[in-house]
Amino acid sequence: MNHFNRLEHATQTLRETNQRGVAPYLTAGDGGLTTTLAVLHALEKAGATCVELGFPFSDPIADGPILQAAAQRSLEAGTTFADTLEMVATYRKEGGELPLAFMSYINPLLQHGGLSSTCQRIAYAGADALVVPDLPLEESEELEKVCWENRLAPILFAAPTSGDARIQKAGSRSHGFLYVVGRVGITGGSTAFDNTTQEFLQTARRLSNAPIAVGFGIRTADDIRSATKYADLAIVGTALVEKLHYSKDPAKTAFDFLKELQSGLNA
Amino acid sequence: MKGPYFGDFGGQFAPETLMPSLQELESAWQSIGQSPSFRKEFNDLLKNYAGRPTPLTPCRRLGEAWGLELWLKREDLLHTGAHKLNNALGQALLAKHMGKTRILAETGAGQHGVATATVCALLDLECVVYMGSVDAVRQKTNVLRMELLGARVEIVEHGQKTLKDAVNEALRAWTGDPDAHYLLGSALGPHPFPALVADFQQVIGKEAVQQIADQADASPDLVVACVGGGSNAIGIFRAFEEDASVRLVGVEAGGDGVETGRHAARFSGGTPGVLHGCRTWLLQNEDGQILPTHSVSAGLDYPAVGPEHAALHALGRAEYASATDEDALTALQALCKREGILPALESSHALGWVQQNQDDLRGKRVLVNLSGRGDKDLAIIFETLGLGT
Ligand SMILES: Cc1ncc(COP(=O)(O)O)c(C=O)c1O
Repeated sequence: MNHFNRLEHATQTLRETNQRGVAPYLTAGDGGLTTTLAVLHALEKAGATCVELGFPFSDPIADGPILQAAAQRSLEAGTTFADTLEMVATYRKEGGELPLAFMSYINPLLQHGGLSSTCQRIAYAGADALVVPDLPLEESEELEKVCWENRLAPILFAAPTSGDARIQKAGSRSHGFLYVVGRVGITGGSTAFDNTTQEFLQTARRLSNAPIAVGFGIRTADDIRSATKYADLAIVGTALVEKLHYSKDPAKTAFDFLKELQSGLNA
Repeated sequence: MKGPYFGDFGGQFAPETLMPSLQELESAWQSIGQSPSFRKEFNDLLKNYAGRPTPLTPCRRLGEAWGLELWLKREDLLHTGAHKLNNALGQALLAKHMGKTRILAETGAGQHGVATATVCALLDLECVVYMGSVDAVRQKTNVLRMELLGARVEIVEHGQKTLKDAVNEALRAWTGDPDAHYLLGSALGPHPFPALVADFQQVIGKEAVQQIADQADASPDLVVACVGGGSNAIGIFRAFEEDASVRLVGVEAGGDGVETGRHAARFSGGTPGVLHGCRTWLLQNEDGQILPTHSVSAGLDYPAVGPEHAALHALGRAEYASATDEDALTALQALCKREGILPALESSHALGWVQQNQDDLRGKRVLVNLSGRGDKDLAIIFETLGLGT
């Protein structure tokens, strides 16, 4: 099968074989980029389907306190756009094969000569997709076009507030996966996978052309079990970032935590 | 109706979760907000509650000292002491008609927070105001006023702990509570806010055009206003935009001086980008990380400028300059001593620019938007000038 890229291959394979996967989220450069690189390898070894790699931004309006703090620590440690891409390139050079969705707020992507040049660099470094949390359908056309030109999969969002028409649009314009926000709010906290949430996920699955990944508030193997009832992928961000921050051996912590989360997949 | 884009600026860069709320607001503004009954209710409140029209005051003594003809549009005389009430009344009234019961707001100087707390008391709405801890200290009396008016003040402890961080937190709170109305206080943020806020602030310019025609029998040579997010400036500029003979000057916070890097002068020290939902001029580094700002005035201490100003700047229709902390304080004292008016530190920047440029403005008819009064700033003024200790 001829897929658009590595990420789409991975998520379509999940769909076709009716499997589910875990997609960890990492803040690039939290604890230093060398740590991020080691964690990427560990997550690959543990069997993550793909990774969402967040470039830190000074003013992350869609993030709760834990991810805000991670971005701030990373920026204070001196993380730059160029160094982050170099780390991604190194990961690929070292044989890393994980599909990578590069997450950035829109403003950093508009610098360094603009979208077309930043996206080209992101793709060239070895990322497979782009996730921009403050870019709704109304503003994403240019980014989607630039993504296509660079074989980056554009990933758009659906939220519980979206309504069917928007979910369908986002699902047909996303590649790799549609990012489904599991709960009304920002990252962090916890999401109750009650009937309302499950109905929403079921609707998103039905309306979206692309496989769906549910994120925001997924912390445990139990959450993974509930989240992947209808979603192809579960994204775990805050819980992982928090564990890594307090860990003396982030690579091992990442490996162990991913294994633990994956135990929720097979029940 | 303007927006979502003003030329290349503006837009709607918001998380998907908020889009339906933004669309609901836009459609309410275009339907309910344009209805004659809404406009009548709004105008009644502006007149009988807020105290509009505000006067246009000729400043003979100070004008003489500076060698020009100086007129002040007196938003400092509006109820609660600043132009912010115009927008707060308009948006809260709209929210009430939309069936909203809870209002979220950010504040820098506390004037917008006070205005919002005030209208929420009047219209029986729950009110939560986000304010950076640095601002809460320097504008303490406004924190107390908000609480007295029944609002809950949430102190924001991250980032630079000023207006930018208060906006971040208010946007986050709204994302988790999209049934509330977010009452944004300046002509910035994602569409429809810049256009909506300007709509409710336009009354300043509409009155001023008529007043200066009546009182001076002429139009002004210049209209000068301070620019934080840009609401008082756009409120007065719009009415004069079509008259090409009127120079429009927006004055940003020069802080310690633009050359020191400690300022909030977006047009001279910044580059275009996206912050808080719109594309505009920002203070940022080459990676697009937002830079810290500095100003003695909390209301101008913000790294982005409203997108309609970015468009006026691109068109060359308005010019943007800056006044330093020191320029503002000097002009503030001059207005106190010569005219018996204590201006807000924000508004003092507009006056400060006029004072610094008096040689070039000799004989000109200068209309300054005095956006607010300075009572809230007494502690900082005393501290900075070394008085009263
Ligand atoms: C008196 C006064 N003027 C001006 C401003 C700046 O805001 P804007 O640029 O939206 O008018 C503020 C903001 O707090 C203010 O309190």
